[in-house]
Amino acid sequence: MRHLDTEALRALTTGEPETVAYFREHLAHPCEACMDFLAKTPGPGLLDGQVDALLLHLAPARQEAPRLDEVGYARVRRGLREPARPWSRVAAALAVAAGLAGLVVLTRAQVRPPSEVKGAWDGVKGVGTLALETSVVAREPDGHLRRMDPGGSASDQDVLVLRYHATEAGEALLFQRRADAEPELLGRFPLSAGTHELEGPQGLVGISLEGESGPLTLWLVGFPSAQVPPPEEVREALTHGDMGERPVLAITRFDLHVRGGTGQNPSPR
Amino acid sequence: MSRLGSSRELMEWVVRAMRGEAPAFSEIYRRTRPQVARLTAGFAPLDADEVEDVIQETYVRAFRALPRLKEPAAFEAWLLSIARNRARTRLERKGQKRRMDEEISDPQPETASVVPEALQLERDMAVVRQLIAELPEGEEKKTVYLFYVEGQLSAREIAEQLGVGKSAVTMRLERFRARIKQELLRRVLAGRWE
Repeated sequence: MRHLDTEALRALTTGEPETVAYFREHLAHPCEACMDFLAKTPGPGLLDGQVDALLLHLAPARQEAPRLDEVGYARVRRGLREPARPWSRVAAALAVAAGLAGLVVLTRAQVRPPSEVKGAWDGVKGVGTLALETSVVAREPDGHLRRMDPGGSASDQDVLVLRYHATEAGEALLFQRRADAEPELLGRFPLSAGTHELEGPQGLVGISLEGESGPLTLWLVGFPSAQVPPPEEVREALTHGDMGERPVLAITRFDLHVRGGTGQNPSPR
Repeated sequence: MSRLGSSRELMEWVVRAMRGEAPAFSEIYRRTRPQVARLTAGFAPLDADEVEDVIQETYVRAFRALPRLKEPAAFEAWLLSIARNRARTRLERKGQKRRMDEEISDPQPETASVVPEALQLERDMAVVRQLIAELPEGEEKKTVYLFYVEGQLSAREIAEQLGVGKSAVTMRLERFRARIKQELLRRVLAGRWE
């Protein structure tokens, strides 16, 4: 008895009549060998996608339309700006935790005094003011950690890790801006009171500098919990400097210069 | 919104994205990410970071190739095919079964055009529901029902509820999925989509 294999799949794809006729009959009954092959082998054509689409639409549609995952979409836009590679080095924004597990003491560099970075508070009762300070550590390709000073330079092989001190729990939006471009949202993160590395749901946050060159600005904009305004508003405000009218409690800014073209191949992930 | 209605709307957004309208890309992402995320999160050995990487890579590839997509109606199946291939490639590299410079190739957008008519999709879904109903009572049926029919719990949550490992859940889902794939292939060979 003949079962599906690579050769048979090729023949089916090209529509060879004998093969089509044989497997039309053969697959009329469940065949463990063929199912096993189909499970492990992509295609033919879009069949995998069609199967997944069918299965994923079996569940009742949710009443509410899905919200745009701003963080995920920002990563996609970032990926689209990078040159296509033989294999994709997906943006190394998250999960640099391994080399940082031993990071214990970092002197916080106060980017701007809290009194200067506080925005106007919108008067919501029961929420305290939040002061935020940040420092930046560069993780070099060999795992070495280096504290960065504002205005300092980093290699495009470095990954930046943000450490913050918040006086209250809240949330923060992280933006970056290249040269004169628009600020770009990198993510939304919870803030805990005290001193911590910036973490997302999937662990420590790192900002890959691969592909970057020239001046780069990072903003960590803190808000009280559940008071985060739309990122577009914050981006607009950062661009035009009118954060004082927003319910923003704290903005920290960190400028650096990226030395591009240091010539090392990226580590494939 | 019905399955048919949402498919038509998605196709309209795909056409707009193919014309280069920037807002259409975020709208496509918003509409389709839940399915892509659910698909990729079902691969047991991938952790949350890796799932996010796969999702990002899927959309970057799809959006780059979108202008070459021959048939806008094929977009969702094409996107999900890419997502599955990216997840598989990632898994095989992780398990060192595949070299870093090798990968499963995605369906070419220029040829991604064989799609069933929308009404046929509804009939296919009825067939899938029937196949689920015909499964013998047991763990596989329970798992398939929780993941695909109810659609509320993740593979990990189902594993916790059933008291098994996540890999056991994903194996059951993959086994059922292979059965559906075989059935759809048989229907293709019977000329239903031609």
